[in-house]
Amino acid sequence: MSRKEEKQVDLSLRQFIKDLGGITGGAALLGTMPWLQSFTPDKLKEVAKEKSRIAIIGTGSRGQYHIHNMFSIQHAEIVALCDTYAPNLEAAAALVPTAKKYSDYRKVLELPEVDGVVIATPLNWHAPILLDALSAGKHVFCEKSMAYSMEECKQIYDTYQTSDRVVYFCMQRMFDEKYIKGIQMIQSGLIGDVVGARCYWYRNHDWRRPVPSPELERSINWRLYRESSGGLMTELATHQLEVCNWATKRIPKSVMGMGDIVFWKDGREVYDSVSLVYHYSNGVKINYESVISNKFNGMEDQILGHDGTMNLATGMYYLENENIGKSGIEQLLSQIGDKVFTAVPLAGASWRPETKKEYTPFPILADNFNVSDGISMIGAVNDGSDQMLSAFCQACITGEKGENIVEEAYSSTLLCLLGNQAMDEQRKIDFPEEYKIPYMKF
Amino acid sequence: MFHGSLSRIMGTRFDVLILGVEKEHSTNIWESFQQELEYLDHMLNRFDPNSEVSRINHEAGTKPVPVSQEMWEILQDCRNYYEKTFGLFDITLTDFLQVVFNEEEHAVQFLQPNLSFDFGGYAKGYAMKKLLNILKTNNVENSFVDFGQSAIFALGHHPYGDTWKVSIENPFQKGQILEEIALRDSALSTSGNTPNYSGHIINPLNRRFNRERRLICVESDNPVDAEVLTTVLIAAEPHQKEKLLTQFDTKQILDFNL
Repeated sequence: MSRKEEKQVDLSLRQFIKDLGGITGGAALLGTMPWLQSFTPDKLKEVAKEKSRIAIIGTGSRGQYHIHNMFSIQHAEIVALCDTYAPNLEAAAALVPTAKKYSDYRKVLELPEVDGVVIATPLNWHAPILLDALSAGKHVFCEKSMAYSMEECKQIYDTYQTSDRVVYFCMQRMFDEKYIKGIQMIQSGLIGDVVGARCYWYRNHDWRRPVPSPELERSINWRLYRESSGGLMTELATHQLEVCNWATKRIPKSVMGMGDIVFWKDGREVYDSVSLVYHYSNGVKINYESVISNKFNGMEDQILGHDGTMNLATGMYYLENENIGKSGIEQLLSQIGDKVFTAVPLAGASWRPETKKEYTPFPILADNFNVSDGISMIGAVNDGSDQMLSAFCQACITGEKGENIVEEAYSSTLLCLLGNQAMDEQRKIDFPEEYKIPYMKF
Repeated sequence: MFHGSLSRIMGTRFDVLILGVEKEHSTNIWESFQQELEYLDHMLNRFDPNSEVSRINHEAGTKPVPVSQEMWEILQDCRNYYEKTFGLFDITLTDFLQVVFNEEEHAVQFLQPNLSFDFGGYAKGYAMKKLLNILKTNNVENSFVDFGQSAIFALGHHPYGDTWKVSIENPFQKGQILEEIALRDSALSTSGNTPNYSGHIINPLNRRFNRERRLICVESDNPVDAEVLTTVLIAAEPHQKEKLLTQFDTKQILDFNL
């Protein structure tokens, strides 16, 4: 492929993970993030001479985003493209002229030369295509959320348990350096006990794509209709709820919420404004909000600890008490208690009372890193999606499963669907027993 | 040893250690401290809409405002510092000469309508001086008084040493100690910009906010002198600085460019 760039896209993350394994406590950290364990430069060398052969099913904006990312993954090549909508298929074919073109995904699954498929279709198509792909012996990389309904999610989860195929869901924060490092900091106690989470995603956009002809409305703007979409929950919240569970190592046991169409009253069926509270068994709550008719607050995944606040999306953290350890006068007191006479750091520019604006932002990562403002409806540059795709393509060669990824996607998707149910039925919903899996700790 | 602490007073935190005094006695001293600090906060805090200074700031632009005896004395003291610092210490931050003092009525009026008093570079030193008097009248020989680190008074010595030793940390580099100072019967004031609080000191003569990465410490017997001088020195131009130092009797001045 002529467009393939010289440099592998994910070398820096691979090196980052390798380095993490080398630092004190790093091995233990990687133990808690097992999906990263084979994501190293050494593993990349092992697959350097091979290529996984990938088919892209669903070549709309997100599918094309993956195609672009694929250009800088040297251990992969795109061999087939599939879409029911001809303009999207042609647009993708223009990017990868060597790939075969299909409008029926079942034909793609019959191709012996396809090792793995990337599913970037509307949500209601995830389960049918994914399950067929597994039956056909293909590895699968599927967009979030996992599936349209809880039943389908459970079916996928159960099928995966007995399958030897690799399944990845694009929970890209799991491959984003600032999230990996930030969650490590949380789990090592930097912000103290986790006491709450605030996640939000604000945009000011109708969330529509242009429709050339009215009969295409429901297929092009599938996100807006309930037959094909879970709306803001399955499209946006799923990533953020996943991060909360990752940070707290728990799953909320219940959810309440309100959803409305406040502003975009254009015939859509999914809410344009949602507010939900997810409740963990220890009393910690996730407050989740998404509104798409005001963008002031942007997007943030914020974990609140007794000693600090971790803003994972913007990659900054803030400490409740910046003089971590003892203040000068406290040092002086304990010194006198210990009958010691030495200098204590007591002179300085004036201590200032705690007010919100006085917090000093500390970056999670020392070097430059990418921050997504959450405005793009397709995908941000370097948000972990490309890294995750690279890991998947590697796994297509090695056959190594990505630990926890399916479980994390299952958990967060279930929470989104339960959130939608809570809003629709206007009541508190407890996590249903029949959908609990051993991975979940409540 | 008695430790008294107020988490928020006069815009900062306050701590005092009182040594060698019976518990009941130190509790009484602490009561007086609290009363004094709250009283002064109520008089000098311009962010408190009911304080005396707020009343003056609100009304003196339109008419002469009679002030309390203590406020009058404070204003005269500030006038002395204004003169002694060639106008660099200016509680109006604009033009102290626009304040008219009516000596007979003990009233003040602003000739310029938007003028106001700000005791930010003075109040802690003044409070320290009064607290010191409380300690002295109560025969306390060893005590350490701390106004949010920026104004300290070390009376006598540490129970296990012959002075009180403090170190000065670089606000831009956590853990880096710039200097250690042994204090005995003296005040130490520190002023400067910190990473999250910069550009808060203004030179009233050229109206420039100082944003340098600089820290100044002044050690003096007189806590008000120390307080006034640190603020003024941060804002002063080099030629003004030399001239200033001839006017004050200090123990030492430390000036860090960070």
